[in-house]
Amino acid sequence: MTATVAPVRPSRDIDGTPRAGGRSQWLAGSIFVGPALLLFVIFVLGPFIAAIVLSLFSWDMLTPATFSGLKNFKAMLSDDLLYKALGNTFVFALASVVTHLIGGLLLALGVDALRSRAASYFVRTSLFFPFVISWAAVALLWKYVLDPTFGMGTYYLTKIGFNPPDWFTDPSWALPAIIGIDWWHTIGFTFVIMLAGLQTVPGQLIEAARVDGCGWWQRLWHVIIPMMSPTIFFAAVITFIGAFQIFDPVQIITPNGGPENSTLTIVMYLYQKGFQAFQVGYASSVAILVFVIMAIVTALQFWFARRWVHQS
Amino acid sequence: MSTTGAGEVSRRTILKAGAAALAVPAAGALAGCNDSGGQQSGEKDAAGPLTLIYLGDATQQKAFNQLFDAFHKSHPKIEIKATGIAAGDWATFAQTVSTQIAGGKIPDIVDVATEGQRLMASKGLLEPLDDRIAADKDVTDPFFNGIAPNLKDWSKKYGSPDGKTYYIPGGYNTVVTYCNTDVFEKAGVDLPDKDWTWDEFKEAGLKIKSKTGAFLLPLGYGFPFVDIMPWLLTNGASTLDADWKTATFASAAAIESATYVKDLLDAGLSPKPGGTFDAAAQFAKGKLATLGGGRWPTLDMRRLNMVDKTQIVNWPTKAQNGSPAGWDGWPILKASKRKNNAWTFLKWMMSKEAGEFYASIGGTNVPALTEVAKSDVFTKDAPKGTTLLVDAINYATPIPSPDQGAQMQAAVTKGWQAALTGTQPVQTALETANKSIQALL
Repeated sequence: MTATVAPVRPSRDIDGTPRAGGRSQWLAGSIFVGPALLLFVIFVLGPFIAAIVLSLFSWDMLTPATFSGLKNFKAMLSDDLLYKALGNTFVFALASVVTHLIGGLLLALGVDALRSRAASYFVRTSLFFPFVISWAAVALLWKYVLDPTFGMGTYYLTKIGFNPPDWFTDPSWALPAIIGIDWWHTIGFTFVIMLAGLQTVPGQLIEAARVDGCGWWQRLWHVIIPMMSPTIFFAAVITFIGAFQIFDPVQIITPNGGPENSTLTIVMYLYQKGFQAFQVGYASSVAILVFVIMAIVTALQFWFARRWVHQS
Repeated sequence: MSTTGAGEVSRRTILKAGAAALAVPAAGALAGCNDSGGQQSGEKDAAGPLTLIYLGDATQQKAFNQLFDAFHKSHPKIEIKATGIAAGDWATFAQTVSTQIAGGKIPDIVDVATEGQRLMASKGLLEPLDDRIAADKDVTDPFFNGIAPNLKDWSKKYGSPDGKTYYIPGGYNTVVTYCNTDVFEKAGVDLPDKDWTWDEFKEAGLKIKSKTGAFLLPLGYGFPFVDIMPWLLTNGASTLDADWKTATFASAAAIESATYVKDLLDAGLSPKPGGTFDAAAQFAKGKLATLGGGRWPTLDMRRLNMVDKTQIVNWPTKAQNGSPAGWDGWPILKASKRKNNAWTFLKWMMSKEAGEFYASIGGTNVPALTEVAKSDVFTKDAPKGTTLLVDAINYATPIPSPDQGAQMQAAVTKGWQAALTGTQPVQTALETANKSIQALL
């Protein structure tokens, strides 16, 4: 058997002269890519380079910047609040990844098992719906629900015998409460990804496992999860990156980082330094740190992925 | 295969283009900051509208726009392009303005609150106004002689780090207590004409709670101007000393203040902090006996048809009358190309006509001219006792606003929150916050 490969039209003649089609293709490609590239340069690459440059300066936005070399980075080493913010952010991100992966997978399995198409569509829509609501609205909504005096959540928890804490003023509960709210808001996205991944698992494999006598757990553990591993890996990477950048709900629900800085995240700290303390240089160096951490963690995720993600 | 020169040039060109693109706004910003403007008062202004930035939500913007329209009518040749920034607080407003200035968008005038006055003046962004004030004595003398002496002195002391005058004071706010007379009547509690003590206040609250179920007042920590400062000042304490050089948030009097407020909270006289209590709405429903504020709650009282059921009295006292004071200042930016027009606008703002007009359309602060603030224009359709807001400027204390004001406010808020919610013992909470504040000064 021979493989058939479509012929590729060379862009240059045998003597190296560029063919007209090659130039027109290049032009067409440039036209299509150009706008996206321009936006990337203006809104991603430009600010990124600006952040690197600014991290080497002391600048308060109102007076001229002065070059300070690596002073900002040195200052970070002895900044206890930075470590606190990093710790909170890692806790939030790890909790977010774990709860999203487990919750998203279980929800996908549950919805996939539904027999009724109408019920399936209804549940999918319901689960995804919170994700389309803006973070500002979600944050205010939950602030109302968990209001310590008038909140509906507080009321019902009291009715069934619980004595709920003051969620957003208790340092022990503020971060867990926000992790829970984040889960409610974004689980729909993870669920949709998981459901899409689940539906790519070949039915023959599951059926073969069933014929071989595998139970539900064995089918899940030995067939479904391995086949879904690229999807799970993708969800893990983007959930971690998204969680590491958490800002909106924390700022709205617990301004200034909550009780005893218990909800201070690294992006919130960056914002405080840049736009409240007017230490733009220092804030830029924190931004660079965030970039480096996310790059390292993502690289580690890819490295570990070689051991458990089935690419074929 | 060889690397072609064309490829290398291309990459360099891209990098150069990127660097140039980045440099333009930064250079504009820095040039703007260094630009002395170069105009003398006799020179003609550049063409174009006078640009002005102020803090205001939709309601306040409506009032400001009416004010600017009134100015334009009296000075048809000067057009004002005013931008209201709907920031929730002055710190956010200052951030937005700073970012705009950094981006090269420099307005001619910025309405700056106490919290940002020293910061802006210390950065060399503002045009000294002394010569213009001296040259237009027919306008400036009646104005400065007609405002509260405190307001005049504070503008100089706190807004002029080098002794020059940069700000024309606009309106101000002090803090008083708005009382729901219906709730007090139902509970059988007599309201004072003017003054009451902390003990009398708590006693009233306990009675109101037991008779009507209403809360006494909402206690919080997010807005120090109302949530924290009045309790400190009525006990002779504050967050900083008078020179804003030393933190005093952990003084014995401050600890006593926080302890008293925590007692009110523990007695159930306030909804628990950290929630979403809508004070004005609950006040109108009779679920709240008092709320604190400056002039701005009067707008809520009007909106909720509560003016006739509301009486203003001074903040309850422990050692003395006390209130924070905040005022807005109107400077001209050094980089402005329309300084003469800007000065014409500021002169108009100093007039009795402008003060009366602003008061009549529902401004959110007390007019600077005492004569206007005591007149019917200001007290009409306002709760009984409104003139106590005006009197309070005589015993008030400027809201401490050092250069690192936003960070200091965050530290104060955190300390008060920890004290009120019991996360830390009151003394520990304030001492911890005090150290943070001192480190910022």
